[in-house]
Amino acid sequence: MTTALPVLLLMTSLLPAGVTFFLAQDSHALRNALQLGGAVLKLALIIWMLFAVADGAAYEAEFPLAPGLVVLLRVDALALLFISLSATLWFLTTIYAIAYFGTKAELSRFFGFFSLCVAATTGLALSGSLISFFIFFELLTLSTWPLVAHKQDKPSLRAARVYFAYALPGSAALLWAIIWLESATGPVLFTEPPDLSGLDPAALRAIFALFIIGVGVKAGLVPLHGWLPAAMAAPAPVSALLHAVAVVKAGAFGVVRVVYDVFGAENMTALGVGVPLAIVASFTIIWGSVRALQQDEIKKRLAFSTVSQVSYIVLGAALASPLAMIGGLVHLIHQGLMKITLFFCAGIFDERAGVKRIDGLNGMGAQMPWTSACFSIGALGMIGLPPLAGFVSKFYLGLGALEAGAPWVLAVLLASTFLNAAYFLPILYRLWFLPLASGAKGDDRAPGLVVPAVVTAAATVGVGMLAASPISPLGWATLIVTQGYGP
Amino acid sequence: MNALYSGSLAPFAVLLWPLLIGVVPVVPRWRDTALRLLPLAPLPALAFAMAGAPGAVVFPDLMLGVELAAGPDSALLLGMTALVWAVAGWYGAQTMARGREAGIFTGFWCLTLAGNLGVYLAADIITFYVAFAAVSLAAWFLVVHDRTKAALGAGRVYITLAVLGEAALLTGLMIGAAQAEDLQIATVRAAFTDAPLGPLGVGLLIAGFGIKAGMVPLHVWLPLAHPAAPVAGSAVLSGAIVKAGLIGMLLLLPEATGWRMVLVVLGLLGAFGAALWGLTQRNPKAVLAYSTVSQMGLLLVLVGAGSQGVAYFALHHGMAKGALFLCVGMMMLATSPLQRRAVLGLAGSAVLSVAGLPLTGGALAKLAAKEGVGDMLSLALTLSSVTTTLVLGWFLFRLADLPAKPAQIPQWRGLFAAIAGLAALALALPWLLWPGAVALPRGYPFQPATMLEGLWPMLLGLVALALARRLALPDYPPGDVLVFLPTQKLRPVLQLPVGRQGRLYRKRPVLRLLLMCKLAERWLLHWPIAGSALMGAALAFAAMVWFAV
Repeated sequence: MTTALPVLLLMTSLLPAGVTFFLAQDSHALRNALQLGGAVLKLALIIWMLFAVADGAAYEAEFPLAPGLVVLLRVDALALLFISLSATLWFLTTIYAIAYFGTKAELSRFFGFFSLCVAATTGLALSGSLISFFIFFELLTLSTWPLVAHKQDKPSLRAARVYFAYALPGSAALLWAIIWLESATGPVLFTEPPDLSGLDPAALRAIFALFIIGVGVKAGLVPLHGWLPAAMAAPAPVSALLHAVAVVKAGAFGVVRVVYDVFGAENMTALGVGVPLAIVASFTIIWGSVRALQQDEIKKRLAFSTVSQVSYIVLGAALASPLAMIGGLVHLIHQGLMKITLFFCAGIFDERAGVKRIDGLNGMGAQMPWTSACFSIGALGMIGLPPLAGFVSKFYLGLGALEAGAPWVLAVLLASTFLNAAYFLPILYRLWFLPLASGAKGDDRAPGLVVPAVVTAAATVGVGMLAASPISPLGWATLIVTQGYGP
Repeated sequence: MNALYSGSLAPFAVLLWPLLIGVVPVVPRWRDTALRLLPLAPLPALAFAMAGAPGAVVFPDLMLGVELAAGPDSALLLGMTALVWAVAGWYGAQTMARGREAGIFTGFWCLTLAGNLGVYLAADIITFYVAFAAVSLAAWFLVVHDRTKAALGAGRVYITLAVLGEAALLTGLMIGAAQAEDLQIATVRAAFTDAPLGPLGVGLLIAGFGIKAGMVPLHVWLPLAHPAAPVAGSAVLSGAIVKAGLIGMLLLLPEATGWRMVLVVLGLLGAFGAALWGLTQRNPKAVLAYSTVSQMGLLLVLVGAGSQGVAYFALHHGMAKGALFLCVGMMMLATSPLQRRAVLGLAGSAVLSVAGLPLTGGALAKLAAKEGVGDMLSLALTLSSVTTTLVLGWFLFRLADLPAKPAQIPQWRGLFAAIAGLAALALALPWLLWPGAVALPRGYPFQPATMLEGLWPMLLGLVALALARRLALPDYPPGDVLVFLPTQKLRPVLQLPVGRQGRLYRKRPVLRLLLMCKLAERWLLHWPIAGSALMGAALAFAAMVWFAV
């Protein structure tokens, strides 16, 4: 059972993916049943494992590919944090996507790659060794491309091309780093920190930089973020998944793995690479927000906001103090919940009211109260309004920065708060206070689209309101840090 | 799993009740009912405060662990706050036009109220911060309720300062909490003394609370927001909400800090400067707003000097100022000369009390406040009566000139009685609380020397008022510093670009910088550049390491 579980977890997404590719375009019921069934099964498995892992259990499955190349799937607390996020949001996004696409063309292809993308994310989270991490990282890159290009129009294809142009050199850098490191240390497993004494500091710094470049492309670290706003050409469910769970989060998760399980916090500090990484993350936070301020399209503004917010996670990892790490890890979940809410809503505004630009949102609050309310909650959470999710992350990051002796980070957090307020509050003002433009109309009578948004918005409030409870994301992040990385 | 809570649920119920009323107007059919319920929202809090704010409660799982408990100062201010909100709520329920706007007003009124009560009940910094954010940010909806140009402009200044204040406060609290490794208010307060960034933290707290408390020069939102908000809104803003900043300072400023001197200086500046500036205003609500800045200045002096009578003084001011703002509303609704005279009389008695006429509640508040602040500040307090008499006398003239609105309300007499009750309590309640609040003998207010000390500044003030009436006083728009000091150019920078896009970019260097960001971004998007830059960077790294090894 202990070896079967991780594989089973992977199969709940991989099998539907494999089958869906061969389904006819019009067998909607079967396809939807497969997708939802897989998602529900996965959720059930995860809930079961959450309790077991909280008690200290660990599950492992090993597949030797070749001598020295071992694919290792392992369920630990950090992996579960990421999987439970991805499984929950995958389930909701599937419902949303089914309602969003209805009976449009090429759905078997879409849902096939959609599941494959989630399978890759799951594998990435479960990876217990560097090489399996790399394999799933690549699978993720490849399975996302058809999703971005799904509409097959000119902007989509261009976006997909840009995505590849960024992703492939990133992968190359990552592979280079892995080979360089493993040639000196042998295969790296995340459970046993590798012995880095065989490499001199300069080489280690270079390897660290290559690692960060490799995963940083996906995490959208400036200046490696260019693909992310471009990828906005993709349909709304893809953007939602991309920004909240799959690609961007995979990058951030990769940073956490590299910092804590490959190098280790002490080594990172000793090498003096923590502060530069924190500076890069801080710059990304500010840059993303400033650029978000300049966007007129809703999804573009949200995309730059993602660039900014995901770097909170990187910042938490780079500061390497326990509280900062808790703040970063919990933001992995919190940012996912808030951002997926915002993207769900952006999709609903587009579908039900034909609004793509921010100035089209005037007066939509009264027309689409549910959507607008969810959007408002997501936006206020991003600003860090207490007691919503974003506030909890920010508070822990701030405390962690002081703990790590880096009070300048407080200024970054402050600036980010102001910039977030500056680019989200005008949207809320338009939604609720400005009069409706003549001829504009919209409604949110589309439960398949609205319910997922309501659920994630409620979760945004819930994880903040109940942050201190042991079953909250904060409780789980604290467990990870105290169990795994604490002194 | 922890127990859901431990302790008495009373303080929690006090906060929950207004929140429950606040969600009622979400259902359109219930909007009017919710509006009628407004005066009931603060009643549990009032009863709780009258019982002496007994009991404490801990919710270990809620937020980051909610703890509610009220100290003696907090209990005093909690009762005052509940009273002002109840009377103002009744006024709002009687006068507010029904409809969608009223529903929004009701909801955010209740949220602001819950926040305002929460700052007195919180025993941990997170709960305090949440409550402070609620009272600060939700009050924006009270300011902009009328949706006029002036209201929206005032709202912009208000929300900008409120967000700035929130950020300063949070940063200050983080600095304290990181040192304390705990979230209890008392522990965090003590930790500022040892924290490496302690002085910065305390400074940020003072800025954050000062914005709310109308500390010069962060007071600019007050004279803009008060005239723009509906009467009920201004009454709670001036009577109760500004006290949230005050209680924050009382709870969190450490005993010994160099900042106390700064508080005294800024407080004195506000106490005298704002009162005199009030003479340049024509709108009675703007005059009252400047009087509030002046009275809050006195309170800041008292906080800085470590006076024991801060809460006692604030209690009187809150009720009297709440009654005065409501008087402005009653004057606008008065239909007969008799009603106008009655309102003037009521306002006059509240004015006399605030100015410190011997044997009124205001005089007692001043006497209590003077205890333990030193001779110089004691003299300053006495002298402040001169300017207070001047500005509030000016207010009475402005009030008498106020034209009546043609609107009529059925409950005029009842409302008038309620406001008169509030003013009467302002005059009388300090007498009841005198034995518990001050270490002075019962007969102290009756001593001739004491009475004389209260009387001469008032007479001086009246003389000054008579002179001022003969002068051609300028008529300035409200907002002093914002209107005059940094000239019009800085205003867009001070205001968040809420509402109109592009306000922030009016300055050319900023514009150029942003344009550069945009061009840099476009250049990055050009994929051959991106790809080769990445690989180039990687190769450079490799080469660097190659040579190093």
